[in-house]
Amino acid sequence: MKLYLAPLLLLFTFNATAAELTGRIFVTNERSNTVSVISSSTLDVEATIDIGERPRGIGLSPDGSELYVAVSEENKIKVVDPSSLKILREFDAGSDPETFAVHPNGNIYISNEDDAKASVFNPKTGEQVAAIQVGLEPEGVAISPDGKRVIVTSESTNMLHVIKAPENIIESNILVGSRPRAATFTQAGNIAYATAEISGEVVKVDVDSGKILKIGSTGDSKSKPKDVVLSKDESTIYVAGGRANKVVVMDADTLEIIKGIPVGKRVWGLAISKDGKRIFTTDGVSGTVSVIDTEQNEVIKTINVGEFPWGVIIND
Amino acid sequence: MLKKNIIRILASISVVLLMTNTTFAEVIEVSFVYVGKSDHSALLGAQQGIEEANLQGQFLNQKYNLEVISPSDIATFDFSNYIAVLTAVDIDTFTLLSEKLPNVPVFNLTIDDDNLRTSCIKNALNVIPSKQMKQDAIKQWLKKTPESHATAHAWHPDFVKFAARDLNKRFKKTHNVEMDDFSWAGWAAVKMTSDTVARTNFTDQTKILDYLKTKLLFDGQKGSDMNFRETGQLRQPILLVEDKKIVAEAPIRGIAKPPTLDSLGALSCKK
Repeated sequence: MKLYLAPLLLLFTFNATAAELTGRIFVTNERSNTVSVISSSTLDVEATIDIGERPRGIGLSPDGSELYVAVSEENKIKVVDPSSLKILREFDAGSDPETFAVHPNGNIYISNEDDAKASVFNPKTGEQVAAIQVGLEPEGVAISPDGKRVIVTSESTNMLHVIKAPENIIESNILVGSRPRAATFTQAGNIAYATAEISGEVVKVDVDSGKILKIGSTGDSKSKPKDVVLSKDESTIYVAGGRANKVVVMDADTLEIIKGIPVGKRVWGLAISKDGKRIFTTDGVSGTVSVIDTEQNEVIKTINVGEFPWGVIIND
Repeated sequence: MLKKNIIRILASISVVLLMTNTTFAEVIEVSFVYVGKSDHSALLGAQQGIEEANLQGQFLNQKYNLEVISPSDIATFDFSNYIAVLTAVDIDTFTLLSEKLPNVPVFNLTIDDDNLRTSCIKNALNVIPSKQMKQDAIKQWLKKTPESHATAHAWHPDFVKFAARDLNKRFKKTHNVEMDDFSWAGWAAVKMTSDTVARTNFTDQTKILDYLKTKLLFDGQKGSDMNFRETGQLRQPILLVEDKKIVAEAPIRGIAKPPTLDSLGALSCKK
């Protein structure tokens, strides 16, 4: 009897989870103090949530049932139901919470820019689980898919801090170009890519050895790279080019530029869909989200959102 | 019981010894010397830079110190153990110092004299903008807004872009005063030098000077990456301030020719 029930139960759980995912795209608007909710079927804004002062980082629980928003000026993370769009609860997230990533175990790793610290929170209880001393102006946070490693970039200290998780011990500090901003891991978690804003570089690092494998330039001097995502087949990286107003497509192996995709002004945040087919950008100065089709590497739609869109995440 | 304790003590001593040994083997410790008045805001900036260099240094096993001396001590002071000299002095003292220490980076944090740039002293690193840079910035701005009474600055406590907000916040938290042009220059001089040491592990003054003059790409929290001209002047954006508010950043977009940092100030040496 038990033997029959187990797979059935598993099936049921999977279905239930899948049914809960809304497919919606959520965007924080730093100046409007809102979150724009974009429908994945129409690619139109279907709702706007008043979230609080200066929302920036945005993320989802591992099962996609909760949306987290870092509300910087209020020093809080607010938890939103992606279906009903109601704010469920909030908790203190240290000083000036900015970017964060969600660990497969559900904990949130967040950079506290003012404190030279990365903090770990349990979003269920709102409790701080750990604090890790990092360099000045910690910014980007990335977590390997297996959850074994976290990278925090510190902008003023020019470093990627590779942190062993869940022990939360710094394993290595990789000195990179000026003002490292964002990082992303490969599925295997042994390689990471990071952007350095002022030096206009993308750096590919071997996470195990803490060594730089390759450095690539994002091109013209206006191109101050911000966010970075990896294509589903991991052959290509997409880099938000800031004031160059384009997304720079680079070969993940050679870090050579393949193409620049024109988007809105001061493109900052990026999110790629689970199927790898679409990339959503936040174009800060234009107040838009550009939707990129990754087969053509072209923008298929531009969506007006709030003022200074900052972070973007897909509930897929 | 006693024996056990002794063994335990010996064991812990050897662990401590082992740790210190490995740590000592890798630590790089370097010192700056500041020459100037001890109540000058440039010194506060240098102190901020040292604090931040040590924060970075803890991850790289590097330690940074700052010695403060008065201009009257120059004649008798032994400069040989310092990687760079930071100065907030008058022009005669600066010239004397830079000539006395030809292979040492000597930073000018306070003097805006144009001749000090065009005379191209090999080891002089002018972090503070020259008079002409500031004038050029104002000229560009006036082409756009003829009525303006703006003044030109290296820094401003209300500057928020390019993480300037973070630097202003940190500085004020530590020193309880606002960051001004001189304190920015003091901070920047230490930061670019400690960044150089972090990247190269150089502790030799001549090598550091050469790196600063030829390979530097410095993030001074003003948006652009900065480096030195042949004249020893740091290329940098200039802030235009009117009624205590930032109204523009030079080079002014659409006006500056060339549209780069080289639209501000002298580019070459006096023959």
